[in-house]
This record gives sequence, C-alpha cells and structure tokens, in this order.
Amino acid sequence: MKADKLSNIMKPLLESLIAIIIGVVIGAVVLKVSGYSPVEAYAALVKGAVGSIYGWSMTLSSATPIILTGLTFAISARTGIFNIGAEGTVYFGAIAAIVFTNMFANPVLGLIGGIIAGILWALPAALLKVYRGVHEVISTIMLNWIAFYTALYLVLGPLANPNDPNKTLEVPASARLPLLMKGSELSLAFIIAIVAAVITYYILWHTVLGFELRASGYNERAAQYGGINPKRAIIWSFVIGGIMSGLAGATEVMGRPPSYAISQGMANIYGYGFDGIGVSLVGRNHPIGIIFSGIFFGALKAGATYMQIDAGVPLEMVKVVQGIIVVAVAVPGLWDLVKKVVRR
Amino acid sequence: MKRSVLALFLIGVLAFSVVASGCIGGEKTTTPTQTPSSPATSSPAQTTTEEKPKLKGAIAVVYDIGGRGDLSFNDMAYMGASKAAKDFGLELKEVQSKSESDYLPNLRLLAQSGKYDLIIAVGFMMTDAVKQVADEFPNQKFAIVDGFIPDKPNVVSILFKENEGSALAGALAGLIAANDGKDKVGIVLGIEIPVLYKFEGGYRFGIKWAEDYYKKKTGKDVNIEVLYTYTGSFTDPAKGKTAAQAQLGQGAWVIYQVAGAVGLGVFDAVSEYLKSQGKEMGPPFAIGVDSAQDWIKPGVIIASMMKRVDVGVYKAVEMVVKGKWKGGIMELGLADGGVGLSTIDDVKAMFNSLPEDVKKKKLEELGLKSEDELFAKLEQTRKQVPDWIWQAVDELKQKIISGEIVVPKAFNKEQIEAIRNAKTWQEMEELAKKWEKSS
Repeated sequence: MKADKLSNIMKPLLESLIAIIIGVVIGAVVLKVSGYSPVEAYAALVKGAVGSIYGWSMTLSSATPIILTGLTFAISARTGIFNIGAEGTVYFGAIAAIVFTNMFANPVLGLIGGIIAGILWALPAALLKVYRGVHEVISTIMLNWIAFYTALYLVLGPLANPNDPNKTLEVPASARLPLLMKGSELSLAFIIAIVAAVITYYILWHTVLGFELRASGYNERAAQYGGINPKRAIIWSFVIGGIMSGLAGATEVMGRPPSYAISQGMANIYGYGFDGIGVSLVGRNHPIGIIFSGIFFGALKAGATYMQIDAGVPLEMVKVVQGIIVVAVAVPGLWDLVKKVVRR
Repeated sequence: MKRSVLALFLIGVLAFSVVASGCIGGEKTTTPTQTPSSPATSSPAQTTTEEKPKLKGAIAVVYDIGGRGDLSFNDMAYMGASKAAKDFGLELKEVQSKSESDYLPNLRLLAQSGKYDLIIAVGFMMTDAVKQVADEFPNQKFAIVDGFIPDKPNVVSILFKENEGSALAGALAGLIAANDGKDKVGIVLGIEIPVLYKFEGGYRFGIKWAEDYYKKKTGKDVNIEVLYTYTGSFTDPAKGKTAAQAQLGQGAWVIYQVAGAVGLGVFDAVSEYLKSQGKEMGPPFAIGVDSAQDWIKPGVIIASMMKRVDVGVYKAVEMVVKGKWKGGIMELGLADGGVGLSTIDDVKAMFNSLPEDVKKKKLEELGLKSEDELFAKLEQTRKQVPDWIWQAVDELKQKIISGEIVVPKAFNKEQIEAIRNAKTWQEMEELAKKWEKSS
C-alpha cells in the first residue's frame, strides 16, 4: 500500500521531469538553429529566475495569480467538469476588489469582495450546467467574453481614474497587500495563494465534500447510485473555483506594484485564466503539484527578461522556446485527461 | 462515437489553451526582429565634442506589449534609437515586454545593471513603472514616450502635439470634400480615452479652417459634417471596417483613422468601396496615423498624420550625449518636426526601414514589380488632389508653426464637447487660448 502510494507520486514526477528535459532539448535545438547560444540562453533563464533574490521575487510573484487560476481548473477537473471560465472570473475579482477597497479602504474586505464576485460569476455556468444541461465549455467560453466586455465598460466608464486616464481608480494605500520584500513585486498575495492551494487540497482529500466532488468526477452515475448528489458536487466545484479566480483578480490589483489598478485595456489582468489551465495540467490537477508548476511557469516568465537582456535572445524566440517547454511538460497531464474523457 | 467527437473537441481546446498560455501577450504577429547590429566599437573615442560626457556607452529601449514589428510606435522608437546609437557610437539593448506586469522588472533589471546612459520606455502604459523605478534609481536617466511624468529630474517625458498634426489632416480632408462638392468626412478612433480627444479636436479644427479657406477662395459656403466613431478597440480590424463602411455609406469622403490596428480595417473598407465603384484611386480616401502608412494601400491612403517617435527618442539620447540633460516635459509639435503630414520621402524612409522579406511580400501583394513602381503609384495618388489643396494645407502648417494660429488641445469630455459644438475655427481658437491660460 505504502509502496503503491509512493509510486503514485513518483510516476508523475518522473514523467514531468522527463518532459521538461525533452522540452529543454528541443528548445535548445531551436535556439541553436536560429543562431543563438542555447547554453547562454538557458544560463540567463536560470539566472534571471532563481539566480538572485530579486529573481526569486519575480518568479514567485508571477506564480501567484496562475496558481490560483490553476486551482480553479483543477477542482473542476477533479469533479469531471471542464471549467475554462477562470479568465472572466479574474476580471470581476479584480473589479470587485477595486470597488470594495475604495469603499472601505481595508484589505480584508477587498479580498472578500473578490471572493463574492468570484462566486457570483461562477454561478451562471454552474446553474446552466446542472439545470439546463448546457455544456460548461460552451457556457464558460461565452461568459468569458461577456465578462471581458462588461469589465471593459466598467474600467473605461464608472471606475475610470479621474486623475490618470490610463487606468481605473487605485486601491488605496491602506488596503494594499504588504510587500514581502522591499523593491520587489512579491507581496502577501503569494502566501494567500499557497494557503488557498493547501485548503483546496484539504477539501478535496480530507472532507466529505471533497469525496463527493471526486466521486462524481470519476463517475457521475456511480456516485449518484452511491447516494451522492452530483448536481450539488458540480455547483460546489464551480463555487470553490470561482473563489480562487476571484482571489486571483483581487490579489493581482491589491498586491502588484506599481499601478494597483486595472489598466485601460485590462492587459494587466488578461490571460491568467488561460495560463491557469496549463499550470493545472502540468501540476496534474493536484493542488500541491499546482504550487510547483505555478512556480515553474513563474520562473519561465521571470527568466524571459534576462534571456533578452543577458543573452540577447529576442522575446519572440524566448516565447517559442518557452512554448515548446510548456507543451512538452503538459503532454503527460493532457494525456491523462484525454484518456479519462475518452474512457467515459 | 459521440464521445470521441467530444474528446477531440476537448483536445483541441486544450491544445489551444496550452499553446496560448505559452504565448499570451503575443497577439500581434511580429516580423522577425533584427537584432541590434550596431557594435559598440568606438564608444569612448569621440568624447571631445561637449564638456562633461562621462558616458557608459549604451542605451536601452523597453518596448510595450505591441513590440517590434508593429509598423508604428515601437518600430519608430527603434528607428530613432538605432540612429542615435549609430550617430553617437552607443550600444543599443532592446527589451520586449510579454505582458504589462513585465514593465517594472524589465526597467528595474536594466537600471540595476547600471550599464545604460539612458533607458527609454516606449508607451504610456509604462508610466507608473517608470515613476517607481526612477525613484528607486535617482542616478539613472529615463525617457518615456507618451507618458506624462513632469516632476522628476531624471525622467524626460516625450509628448507630441497630435492636435496640430490632426489639424493638417482635417484641413486636407475638408478641402478634398469641399472641392468635390461633398459635405461629410469621417474619423474612426479606438477606445474612447482622453488622448484621442486631442486627435479628434485637431481634426475638427482643421475641417472648420478648410471650410473658411474654401469660402474665401471660391465664395461658396460649405458646411462639412464630421462623422465620428469610437470603436472601443485598438486591435480589432473588423471593427474599423464596419465603422468605416457605415461612414462611407453615409457619404463620408475622407476618413481619418486614429485606432492602431483597427485602422487597417478602415483602409480595407475604403479600398473595397473604391473597387465597387470601379476606381483604382480615391477619392474617397483614408488618412493614416502614427507612422507614414501610405505604402500599406497606395491609391487609398492620401497621407498620414505622423507622430515622430523616432525624432523624440533621438532628441532624448542627444540630450544625454551632449550633456544637456533636462528632466521634465519635451513636447514636440509641428515646429519641432515631432508631428506632421507624411511626404513621399517619409513614406520611402518608412518603407525602406522594413525587413526585406516584408517589402517583397508587400510588393507582390500589390502586384507591383519594384519599389519605384510603388513610389510612382504613391505620387500618382497624391496627384488626385489638386495642388492648391496641398498648398493650403502647407499654409496652415506655416501659420501653426509661426504661432499665428493656435490649435485647441482637448483633454477631457467637456473640452471635446465644446469643440464639437463650436461653429467656426476662430471659436475653437478662443477655446484653445482660454484653456492654455487656465492650465
């Protein structure tokens, strides 16, 4: 039993490691062929991501929002749901945080605002799924766009900053999450993300609710036969997922210098929901795995700057190489998921 | 069966999202970046010209998420920086930004290294990041394009008087319409942000001026209506196309685009309209923006309102090299060559700065054999407009440069409304003077 459990952990770990190596090697070939030194480039990547304290701070701060959105995807995947609505939820989490902190100037209430917004925006897809049988992939894709344009309207209209046309109202200084290190972007938000991941782990594997979620994820009908209400499970998985993404949006505006606001085109909160899917896949939809894969993604992001400055690799090339690594790393998780879906 | 279809679909979505997650922020396709090829061969050699040039011999440019290959802002900043690097024997380091959260670390890492005489941030989106890093590194000099940071001794803000350039665009549009007996012109803009009011206000001023000029010249009263559309996007050409089609349908005779990539849709719409009329060349015409865009659609684009980011960047580097640094605002207008309507030479320079393969592809797409053919076609496009109109536009330019005419600069909703309601250009000028006094 114990050996079995160990191999349960070791196998995916080993697979991921091999995948990383394959990705890195292919990336090196691409770099070499394009006329850049792979050694120099990777050295710069590593140096930028983990070679200094500031590098670490960049890595961890970049990991923060995608750990949270990764959790959104993971908890729904564990429930057999393919929730790609994290993106839209992040927008509303960020907006709610701005509204709440401007009303109350209190960081806790800002986070609560993000959570409430996350829950509310997760519900439409959940209810449509449970009561009308609308497939969540369709509904969440559509809802992402509704969220995008609604949020854009709010950002440009009611929440626009009268003193600075390029962004929304700022989170007031008293409601910002404190930085863990001066002169960096690493704030308390990272700790919040870690705690959220641990709580998600606890819920999934140490509570009745978690058992219900996972059971209905393995086999909805069997779960129902066993006395579990899969509808309840699905709604809960959306709600918990919404909380995580809402937090991602809230912590991003409350914890990231310099602007502490949403910029005009929302580019500073765009894309985290989609990144989260990759993070979750690489982390095998496991909350603890997601912490590490989130940091891995964060390191790639942080290292990108150094690859440009130190090794002179243009950003397009950096993106290509990182894309190759990410795809390679995601393959095992993707394969698992595909097998599961096809089996069902 | 059904399941496998669903599975396939899921794989598709997944694969897409995984790939997307690897390259978020790269929506704009970029032409292959040329790595800076100006080796710092003789940096400390030519330091005899001015008094205190203790130079480190390098400058850095941080691009915004549009990145190189946008044929606009970032490319023009590169043009200016690479020219300066060459002229002053400096090394040029380029850094692109993948997402907005990269601005701060990019700037910080460059400043930390202490290797650069000047760090140039391209785009207003970096304003907050530059402010913060400038405070952290008070001995590092920064320049920001389009950002407003008036009060830091180590930051120079490169701004442009887009209202002046847009006034010329308006005069051109208004006179073309009046000359053809038309009474409507259009302007298609991006997201409704205060910066764009400068463009719209200047354009309206130019049109009113054109009405007046035309009346004095021919004795005929004209009243030109301005159709304006804020598309709510800077990236979606389809929106520009729809907006321009609607304006053409209502009879707009010239359309000025102030909308980044959305403007490409405006050019398409005008081009298709011309084709449907069996014409190869306008009118109706489009007017380009930011860089000399005329080459994109010869025959369709009569001129472009250029924002010479390259001039601004070059001037900022020059200040550092010549030991004449002064933090604060550097606002470039018609008089400084910071804005203006494109000439054939500008278009040639822009076209020649493109990578070879892009040039070749463009010529193929246009069905032209050589660059000369393209330039001949551009000349011919301009000949569709009578000489006196070009001279009139030049007259307005000279009057603005000499200060005889003041173009209003609208910064907020209230001010642009005032301009929209004004009946004559003199009335607008009154507004301009009033606002200048109060600010």
